[in-house]
Amino acid sequence: MLAAALAGALVYPLIAHGTPAVGAAAPDFVLKDLAGHNLRLSEYRGDVVVLSFWASWCAPCRDALSQLNAMALVQDGSTPVVLSVNIEGDAARAASVAESLQLKFPTLVDARQSVGRQYDVEHLPLTLLVDRDGVVRGVWSKQPAQTSELSRQIKELESK
Amino acid sequence: MNPNMQRARRRRLVCAIAFLAIGAALAGGRAVAADGAAAGVRSVDQDVQVLKKQLVDLNRDLFKLEEELLYPASTQVAVFLSVDVGTFFALDSVTLKVDDKEVANYLYTDREVQALHRGGVQKLFLGNLKAGSHEIVAFFTGKGPNDRDYRRGATLKFDKAVGAKYVELRISDREASLQPEFVVRQWE
Repeated sequence: MLAAALAGALVYPLIAHGTPAVGAAAPDFVLKDLAGHNLRLSEYRGDVVVLSFWASWCAPCRDALSQLNAMALVQDGSTPVVLSVNIEGDAARAASVAESLQLKFPTLVDARQSVGRQYDVEHLPLTLLVDRDGVVRGVWSKQPAQTSELSRQIKELESK
Repeated sequence: MNPNMQRARRRRLVCAIAFLAIGAALAGGRAVAADGAAAGVRSVDQDVQVLKKQLVDLNRDLFKLEEELLYPASTQVAVFLSVDVGTFFALDSVTLKVDDKEVANYLYTDREVQALHRGGVQKLFLGNLKAGSHEIVAFFTGKGPNDRDYRRGATLKFDKAVGAKYVELRISDREASLQPEFVVRQWE
């Protein structure tokens, strides 16, 4: 029984499709930010990362970005890495929104929509919390993550 | 089969073996417990470390085995990328086409570029090709002299016989013209 449970826990996250579930490895990707730098998710191993998928036409996405921005401004020292991923692939629109919201974190542009497919983004906004080992520890879809809950989980992961 | 699928398959294989190994360790653990404290000198921590090492070794062996199975020496083609000096070109991305089919499109982060500058060699593509004539085209994108956008192509036509073929894409500096140079060459 124990062996079967262990096997299930180990194998399920690897064979499951769709948005990575809690406990699954966050698929690696590399995208350009608005300044033209290439950023790779796996290079943030060792940091707690918040991934936020959004589009310019999605109003709740702006709320989610504003919340993350406020968190980034309030916290100090142990601020988690926040990477926002625009899934439209339109750098100009992404830049316009990022500027209007005065985002303090990198805005990545999914020019080929490949990362959106990789993460199977069906609903926006989509927020994922990734731990220091690159494992997904929280998923919030359709609505912004609750700031208090997100902060609590981030602190918990950072203290490990 | 794309590299992500291969990696996922390897991970599944490693997980299955890890499960078996953990099962064996648990069974072994029970046996040790049965023998009692007389034989139980080794700590659980030591056992876990040994198990971890075995898993790492197993993963490495599986990786090698998988490469040998998926890319047999008779058809294997590997393309590597290296940078020599590279002061006239800041690498951003490389697109690789084999026989007019895009097989790799790689964006380089600052860290990866630094690693290449320090002498690292990247395996950009690993695949299979039949014996015969083939063409490799590589497009290099980045910033050239005076921080201008720069895009250049380099082509290699080659005849592949039976046996592995290794190709190197090399970015170097042409001091005479103060321009970068892109070379595609075969390893003998």
